[in-house]
Amino acid sequence: MIPSLEILIPKSLNEALSILAEQNNGSKIIAGGTDVVPGLQQGSNRFANSDLLIDINRIPEIKSITRTREKISIGGAETFSNILQNQIVQEELPLLWKACSTIGSVQIRNRATIAGNFVNNAPCADTVPALLVYNATVEIESLNSKKEISIGEFLTGPYKTKLNKDEIVTRINVSIPSKEYEGEFYKLGRRRAVAVSRITLAVLTKTQNHMIDEIRIASGAVTPIGIRFFDLEKFAKGKKIEDQFLKELSKMLGEQIIQVTGLRWSSEYKLPVVQQMFYQLLKGIERGSL
Amino acid sequence: MEVRFKLNGKEEEVTTEPYLRLIDLLRDYFNLTGTKEGCGVGECGACTVLINGRAVNSCLVLAGQIEGSEILTIEGLANGEILDPLQKNFLLHGAIQCGFCTPGMVLSASALLDKNPDPTEEEIKDAIAGNLCRCTGYKQIINAVKETAKEINSASKPF
Repeated sequence: MIPSLEILIPKSLNEALSILAEQNNGSKIIAGGTDVVPGLQQGSNRFANSDLLIDINRIPEIKSITRTREKISIGGAETFSNILQNQIVQEELPLLWKACSTIGSVQIRNRATIAGNFVNNAPCADTVPALLVYNATVEIESLNSKKEISIGEFLTGPYKTKLNKDEIVTRINVSIPSKEYEGEFYKLGRRRAVAVSRITLAVLTKTQNHMIDEIRIASGAVTPIGIRFFDLEKFAKGKKIEDQFLKELSKMLGEQIIQVTGLRWSSEYKLPVVQQMFYQLLKGIERGSL
Repeated sequence: MEVRFKLNGKEEEVTTEPYLRLIDLLRDYFNLTGTKEGCGVGECGACTVLINGRAVNSCLVLAGQIEGSEILTIEGLANGEILDPLQKNFLLHGAIQCGFCTPGMVLSASALLDKNPDPTEEEIKDAIAGNLCRCTGYKQIINAVKETAKEINSASKPF
């Protein structure tokens, strides 16, 4: 049973930010509601003192997808269905597009929003590894401030972000990678649809003459939050793309994940799966780029 | 709060608690009990309705959020006594056993065919991936959707 609360539906960003600025701790933002509503229904302690929901679905400023010469900007309250229907995202940011396509079901994707996917910073948020390898930034606004920070900086710890109570994630911005970049996203869940991810991986590479010019690697669900593996990326830079090296890199990724996460009951299963998945992703990119 | 919206083609205005879930509003206030509650967390799709033509889980929407929307439930799909082609084909193909998933399944398929009248089998599977059926094994459901698509397409292309 949902506790009694009020719902406000601001029609502009300014109106929403004004409401947030005035409110006490009992207010929560609701967009798609695919996380908030079951949370309320099940009496989750995340909503223990909530008495006001601010519905941000009808704010045009945070809903569109725009493209300039070098940048794609996605409104924080844009639904996954709208993102998936956007050809620019599909062509220029294929990893993000694929990550969005693996989320929930049609019903969930018709409601759930991109910022809603990561504002809780759940380890399994599917868009995070893709946003990390694209070096995405998030725009955050309150009534009196506006800032833009990298997604990596925004996500501070499990279920923790830099977002303050009076702020909204208004846009997600991604510089369009040049055509030399190739990548892949992979999600493993218990079923194909409506599955909480067990493992997600994203990898983006730029290669030249069979050498790794640049590689960006990110994981989700197997690490406490979605993270990049900068050490590994540095190590791989300039290396020749050979089967032996790709195997070595995959082994190292597994070891790094264990280092970050610690040994779990599931490690025995997940470790070889992560390594094999990552190896297959690298092989796929190798086939595409050579 | 006062909420105005269109329900199965008819303008409605209700006074409701804003935090009531849409599924509860439909079932308890409007007596539209074709919309079923299975899991209550958006995993099973039994509560699927269409909002502005899109399939959504009505257990994940609050009454306070639907102002100005057009909502279609399974009760609004048939044309009086004449079943929607999807409903007819679900019956013909044995795509119904216990029937609990059927309203949601039919509405998910309906939203698909409205947008994409000639879907591939993969597209049909993706459209109903959020609707669990524990009886049929899905084969009959997919066949019913395919048959409906065929009928729509032959009707729109008479020669």
